[in-house]
Amino acid sequence: MITSIQRIYAIFTKDFKDLTKNLYVSTTFLLPLFYAFMLGRGSGMDSAYFLPLMVNMTFATVGTYIQSAIIAEEKENGTLRGLMLSPATTLEILTGKSVLSVLCSVVVFVVSLEFFDGPMTIPSAAWIGFIIMTIFYITLGTLVGLLSKSLMESSIFILPVIFILGMGTMFRDLMDEYAWFKVVEWMPNYQFEQLFQASDTSTIVAAIGWMIGWTALVVVVTLWLYQKRSFDE
Amino acid sequence: MIRLEKVYKSFDGKAALDGLEFQVDKGEIFGFLGPSGSGKTTTIKMLTGQLKPDRGHVEVFGQDVSNVTRPDLLQRIGIMTDNSNLYPRLTVLDNLNLYRSLYRVPIRRVKEVLEIVNLEGVEKKKTATLSKGMKQRVLLARALLHEPDLLFLDEPTAALDPINKERIHEGLRQLKANGTTIFLTTHDMQEAETLCDRVALLNGGRIVEEGAPVSLCQRFSDPIITIELKGGQVVTFENARESAKAIHDYMVNDQIVSIHTDEPTLGQVFIQVTGRNLA
Ligand SMILES: Nc1ncnc2c1ncn2[C@@H]1O[C@H](COP(=O)(O)OP(=O)(O)OP(=O)(O)O)[C@@H](O)[C@H]1O
Ligand SMILES: [Mg+2]
Repeated sequence: MITSIQRIYAIFTKDFKDLTKNLYVSTTFLLPLFYAFMLGRGSGMDSAYFLPLMVNMTFATVGTYIQSAIIAEEKENGTLRGLMLSPATTLEILTGKSVLSVLCSVVVFVVSLEFFDGPMTIPSAAWIGFIIMTIFYITLGTLVGLLSKSLMESSIFILPVIFILGMGTMFRDLMDEYAWFKVVEWMPNYQFEQLFQASDTSTIVAAIGWMIGWTALVVVVTLWLYQKRSFDE
Repeated sequence: MIRLEKVYKSFDGKAALDGLEFQVDKGEIFGFLGPSGSGKTTTIKMLTGQLKPDRGHVEVFGQDVSNVTRPDLLQRIGIMTDNSNLYPRLTVLDNLNLYRSLYRVPIRRVKEVLEIVNLEGVEKKKTATLSKGMKQRVLLARALLHEPDLLFLDEPTAALDPINKERIHEGLRQLKANGTTIFLTTHDMQEAETLCDRVALLNGGRIVEEGAPVSLCQRFSDPIITIELKGGQVVTFENARESAKAIHDYMVNDQIVSIHTDEPTLGQVFIQVTGRNLA
């Protein structure tokens, strides 16, 4: 157990150092901060809208992207093979990377709150949702990383993730205009917002159900893909 | 240490390993020689659990190779293949420190392995700025960090100058003296001759010759004795009983300048055996 934590920490430290030297990836931090700046300051936006939007935005752009980028780059450079041939297990390797992605997302999210000047209320169901969404976004990042052959590829694959999950709910007005846009309601990011905005228990339970469903799906697909492909094709 | 029995592996219907069989004993330096595309890297991948054989039996540490991915066995293996890589943005020290932690090795080892590969003083350099030969030596240092019982080296000295090559040979002999078993591939016949206890010549996915370098060379030596006489004349004899009288006569008449048999180098043996050049 202690050995395992030491290995996870070693991989985390390495990825952290590497990330600080990788401007291409680390500048994605700025995107959610930019949005927080635009939306937060003096807009009179309710925290029930601002908070879930920023969580989705931050975890999709920072968490999912960093996770996918650092996995894809290791594949591209052929460094993942070395890790796999060391006594570190795949779970330890992925955990080390996930810790970094989660930490970066949380830090960026906390900083983005600086741009919000209204009163903040966080319903307790939102905390549960936050944990589920964290697992969802990081596993999704792992999946995108496994699918990508290079850093460039992961940067392209991440774009729909950012648009649909990170920003999708910003266009909710379109839902009233176009019926097809209602698909957004099925998305986990929309359901996460429900946890802040809905007051009836049934909506909240359904929202958590949807989010768990999505997360389970992504976990299963990721595990399946992982088994199917060896790590370093 | 290593045992392969009738191992087959093909890629897209083309056989890469075709009934490969050999054995490596504990504590020896085993040279795996073969022309480009003969299956050397494929064999190392198989021995380190990166590839599965289509058919046949592969054993490492007396266990089926499917066990080799277990952390306790990986802890005893060191690997440097021609496709291993360093993290380009990180320094040499950061690169080695990561592996030091993964293998749980004390800090002083970093200095020791850098000494073995003759790279003291580069710890703070970004690996992206290193030359090819220096990167290769850092990778070798990384493979040595945890003092593995079994070391796989895929062309470990390919990009090195003669001085560094010799230095690394010295380091490898030292490891062998400490009980490490070394499996190495090389295109460098000189290296194989001076470093390896035993070599196997691979061609078309199977072993065509195997043995100590000296005995291989002797086995393929020409059965001809060449004698240079005073006055520049050169005569040759079969290395056989019937030649004794004539050679004896030259000798008592003090006519001989030099006398030798023609022993081929390992490289020549290889060409003879495979009909191919090493490239
Ligand atoms: N992943 C793969 N997919 C398809 N073919 C492969 C693969 N790996 C190896 N091969 C083929 O198997 C054969 C053996 O390759 P291998 O890399 O083992 O040769 P090698 O002896 O290491 O050569 P070199 O001295 O050039 O490194 C080659 O014909 C190669 O094209
Ligand atoms: Mg090779």
